[in-house]
Amino acid sequence: MRIMKRSSNINRRARGCVIIVAVMLWALNAVAAAPPKDSCIACHSTLPGQYGQPAKLFSADIHHQVGLSCADCHGGDRNDDSMNAMSPSKGFRGAPTKAQIPEFCGRCHSDPSYMRKFNPGLRTDQVSEYLTSVHGKRLKQGDSKVAVCVDCHSVHNIRAPSDPRAPVYPTNVAETCARCHADANYMKGYRIPTNQYALYKKSVHAAVLAGGDTSAPTCSTCHGNHGATPPGVSSVANVCGTCHAMNEQLFEKSPHGAAFAKMGLPGCVQCHSNHEIVKPADSWVGTDPKSLCLTCHVKGDNGYAAAQAIGGGLDKLKAAYHDADAVLDTAERSGMEVSSARVELSSAHSDLIKARVAVHSFNAADVLKITNQGVDTSHKAYEAGIAALHERNYRRKGLAIALIAIVIAISGLYFKIRQMERST
Amino acid sequence: MMSDTGSGKSAAGGEGKPDLGRRWVNLLLGTGIISTIAAFIYPAIRYVIPPPVSESTNLSVVAAKVAELKTNSAKVFRFGSEPAILIRAADGQYRAFTAVCTHLGCTVQYRPDLHEIWCPCHNGTYDLQGRNISGPPPRPLAQFQVHIQGEDIVVVRNA
Repeated sequence: MRIMKRSSNINRRARGCVIIVAVMLWALNAVAAAPPKDSCIACHSTLPGQYGQPAKLFSADIHHQVGLSCADCHGGDRNDDSMNAMSPSKGFRGAPTKAQIPEFCGRCHSDPSYMRKFNPGLRTDQVSEYLTSVHGKRLKQGDSKVAVCVDCHSVHNIRAPSDPRAPVYPTNVAETCARCHADANYMKGYRIPTNQYALYKKSVHAAVLAGGDTSAPTCSTCHGNHGATPPGVSSVANVCGTCHAMNEQLFEKSPHGAAFAKMGLPGCVQCHSNHEIVKPADSWVGTDPKSLCLTCHVKGDNGYAAAQAIGGGLDKLKAAYHDADAVLDTAERSGMEVSSARVELSSAHSDLIKARVAVHSFNAADVLKITNQGVDTSHKAYEAGIAALHERNYRRKGLAIALIAIVIAISGLYFKIRQMERST
Repeated sequence: MMSDTGSGKSAAGGEGKPDLGRRWVNLLLGTGIISTIAAFIYPAIRYVIPPPVSESTNLSVVAAKVAELKTNSAKVFRFGSEPAILIRAADGQYRAFTAVCTHLGCTVQYRPDLHEIWCPCHNGTYDLQGRNISGPPPRPLAQFQVHIQGEDIVVVRNA
């Protein structure tokens, strides 16, 4: 009996210990899980207007997500609940003026050893690059209308550039720049056009970007982002050449390369425009009334003769390619197997694309070498298509003859049966 | 009445030469049967001895023989109605991709000097996983499966 009572006491004590340990663990966990104290957010989120807005936006900010607080940028003591938290003695810096913003962000973003803790791959030269930009130079001269970090990246709800909601995500960059650059009132006094965005939206670059290719050019691809500046006349071909390398190389070696440089003409832009870079047409080259060659060249000069030969070569290849393509299409729709000819024709398609690139050499012999090769290939594919159509016609005739034979046999059987019925 | 007339004609014919109607019917029936048999036999003969029409290679194709490709080389072959490229990389691994550039549809090549797939039209490049790494191509190249079956390198379109 005594043993049983003793055992019951031990059980009760053990149960008590378990409960105490559980309560302690819960308390520890609750303390660990609680967000660190932030008197800035606690106070400002209750305030209206401009004083409350930053605290409300901040939860979406990448800085908040990596564990930074208001005090990491603005200074002060987030653990102090009193107004003393915003005392200069606590390192409080307050809100920067517009002119101070690049240096304000640069305190961390220009410090490689600090930034390494968050993103070792992130560049830390944005501020120095910014100071070389038109924006940065004008800011130094006291122009407070120019863009600073927060105008493009937003403020208090800054997102990573890889976040599709960020104003600097590739598909949003043009709209972000256009907020100022397409606003004629805002840009008054700068004596630069404000139609760049409208023109860019018509371009092949904007169409490709809208089609989902985020590597397609937007404003910052040609102008730079932090160091945004208009490409000079001498560097236009280099800028375009970062993607269109072969065109640039051919152009630089062409007679136009030296002539344009001498005349101070802006290379690629002269024919392709700058913001409204539409899909080029073959009619741009040649002696057609729409030809851009006729802007400078007249009948009788070497350029005119070259334009005529190049335009003629392209037209001949296009015609031969389309004829072959149409014949193969007809053969395919008729159920004929022409995949071999299709592959052959794809080589003519490559020649057509290569010839369009070779146009930038403005050398008729080079272009015609490619177009003639494409024409020969197209003719072979055309012949294969015609042979397939002959085979189709042959099969159709065979089918018709077989059907007629079957009809004759059925008719013969019918009459034979009738004859036999009569004779019985 | 009709039956009588018919049987009379038939009887008359049965005594000597078959009458004109019966001969025509026999001729019609004979021609029809012979022609029909010919219409069945001819396609069978054409099947056994096929005309020079290329074979469809839409789902899989023997792209090359094992002995054909050295390391760090490639071969462009026909896969369906499009060109494809079989690469034997420097490490000996086989890889196959569509040879149609994702930019403007030119036929790509293997560059043994760069160990990359290169488009000669606009200088676009892809790595040996088919990923577009520089120039204007907007998307990677579609990759195919490669199987070694005896001496054949068979390329199969992904399901």
